[in-house]
Amino acid sequence: MLFKDQLYFVRENMKKNKMRIFMTVLATAMGTAFLIVLASVAFGLHDTLIKDVLEQETVNQVQIYGKDDPNSQGITDKDIDYFQSLEHVRAVRKQSYLRQSPLVSLNGYETSPHTVAVDMGALETGGTPLEDGRYATSSDEVVVGYHFYEQLLEKDTDPEDMYDENGERTEDTLYQGELIGETIDLTVSRLIDETDTEEKTYQLTIVGVTAEPANEWQQDQSLYTTFDFYQSISEYTGTPGGEMYFQEEPMDLTFYYDEVTIQSNNLENVQALTDTINDQGYYGYSVASELKQINMLFTIAKAGLIFIGAIAVIIASIGIFNTMTMAVTERAPDIGIMKAIGASPKTIKQIFLLESSIIGIMGATIGTLVSYLISFLVNIGLPMILEATFEDQLPEGFQFSSIPWTLVLIAYVICLLVTLISGSRPAKKATKIDVLSALRREL
Amino acid sequence: MIEVKQLSHQFELGKKDKKTVIPVLQDVSFSVTKGEIVTLVGRSGSGKSTLLHLIGGFLPRQSGAITINGTDVSDFTEAQFAEFRLGTIGFIFQNFQLIQSMTAYQNVELPLILQGVSETARKIQALETLEKVGLKGFEHHYPSELSGGQQQRVSVARALVLNPLIILADEPTGSLDSETEEDLLHLIKELNESLDITFLIITHDEEVAKIGHRSLMMHDGALIDQEVK
Repeated sequence: MLFKDQLYFVRENMKKNKMRIFMTVLATAMGTAFLIVLASVAFGLHDTLIKDVLEQETVNQVQIYGKDDPNSQGITDKDIDYFQSLEHVRAVRKQSYLRQSPLVSLNGYETSPHTVAVDMGALETGGTPLEDGRYATSSDEVVVGYHFYEQLLEKDTDPEDMYDENGERTEDTLYQGELIGETIDLTVSRLIDETDTEEKTYQLTIVGVTAEPANEWQQDQSLYTTFDFYQSISEYTGTPGGEMYFQEEPMDLTFYYDEVTIQSNNLENVQALTDTINDQGYYGYSVASELKQINMLFTIAKAGLIFIGAIAVIIASIGIFNTMTMAVTERAPDIGIMKAIGASPKTIKQIFLLESSIIGIMGATIGTLVSYLISFLVNIGLPMILEATFEDQLPEGFQFSSIPWTLVLIAYVICLLVTLISGSRPAKKATKIDVLSALRREL
Repeated sequence: MIEVKQLSHQFELGKKDKKTVIPVLQDVSFSVTKGEIVTLVGRSGSGKSTLLHLIGGFLPRQSGAITINGTDVSDFTEAQFAEFRLGTIGFIFQNFQLIQSMTAYQNVELPLILQGVSETARKIQALETLEKVGLKGFEHHYPSELSGGQQQRVSVARALVLNPLIILADEPTGSLDSETEEDLLHLIKELNESLDITFLIITHDEEVAKIGHRSLMMHDGALIDQEVK
């Protein structure tokens, strides 16, 4: 029997019981829609989170926090050379923090910034763009963070006048002058004995301001200097990184990097790079590892929700089983006639399985369309409701529900499997119909 | 064409512990040659219908052997018999056994569909066969819109459409009036002569028995006599 003819048979049979078929398809559609909409929440939140993580500049980076070696005090130039020799490395950004907060004066304003010595070349290639100016090229030049100016306080200002009732800086107390090209006085201290200190002031020129960080909550108030300048402070204080510590004997001033960030050339390679570095005994961390965990967590959540959704489809399958069983009972005389003429049990089974599959496919298709509509409405309506109810704005690009094609495929497969299973018993029953009993209308 | 050897059959009635065994066929042997019309006559309960159902593969054989057109069908499974039946045996039933939701044309087309014949070819064949049985113009009528005689003609057309070698008929005139019965018998005779189709007809009607080249008489599950005309 040709497939086209089987379809024709099924269509004719379905026409005879339109209402019953409609109700069964409706139940299947509701089950499928429930499955898709439920799982789409996990897909939506996952997408939002991944998008958020990927938007961070750090996503391509592997951060090195140290080395698993009892004799090692930190990351040295030798380690940096090793990192640079690795495949897929675009740049190695290293930095060392000044172990004291120097006093910085600029046109009557003062602050004690977090001072970081960085490799200016790596800063450029390592994804820290500048808002204005250029990177420092000599030891008497510095780059300041985007929010550096917010920390500058006018001398002798009462701190109470600097903040408004909401705790934010008042506009008129902020530094309004230029930054690029201005000279700052940076004063560092050192201990000359157990208790006494002395100071030294360096004059440095601001040549650049870093760009605004990608996330609103990030603040960049640092002062970026060169390693040469950092080394000169170490030499002045006689301690590594200008630490306020006194010791009679001269101290080892070997350069150790506090933080090393390796920039990968591709997001795909970050995990492999992290694994390689960790295998060599370094403590490496990348957002990609976090992504792996996020993905794992959401995969479990998605599987759980799909499982719960599948229960709804299974419940709907009871309807299919019922519909198909009734169809077999009602059509028993016709099945008997067909078998008497020469229809094989296989053909009879195929016709009934095809009918239940069509019910499943129709239900899955309607359910999918309804799911897309619900998902669309939820993504539009939910932020509006939340904003109206809680007066709180959701992050930009927030997606509550997302239906990728894979979810639709999963729903179709589940729906089809469940309908085939629920239709298989009635189909088998149809093949077992006794021709003589059917012809005598005894069934 | 049909060869039946030592065929016996019994029905078991009742539940396991209270089973009653009723023998219906006892050691029946006979053969039908190609192009013959053979009638099986006997009273109700003589076993003639059971014999026909065993030859048609509607009942599983218990003992004895059945050979049709040189093929031993004794141990055929249900599926094998279905496939064999489709091209070899046509059936005519007492109460027509037409699918009520299908038109005369669709009922005749059904065996062709089951055999996987293309739509164009089966249209030609079905219409030709309906014309052959004198139902041209009634193609789109449903069984309920046709008389008993016309319905039986549709049934004959359905049995005929795949050009079978054998037609098994179970009381074909049982539901017809005498005038229509005569028409149908005339049609059977005509088909036998023009298409050389073998007919095995069950009947208790003497008029029907007359059209056979041979009549086999059954009584209490056994063949008791044979009449050659």
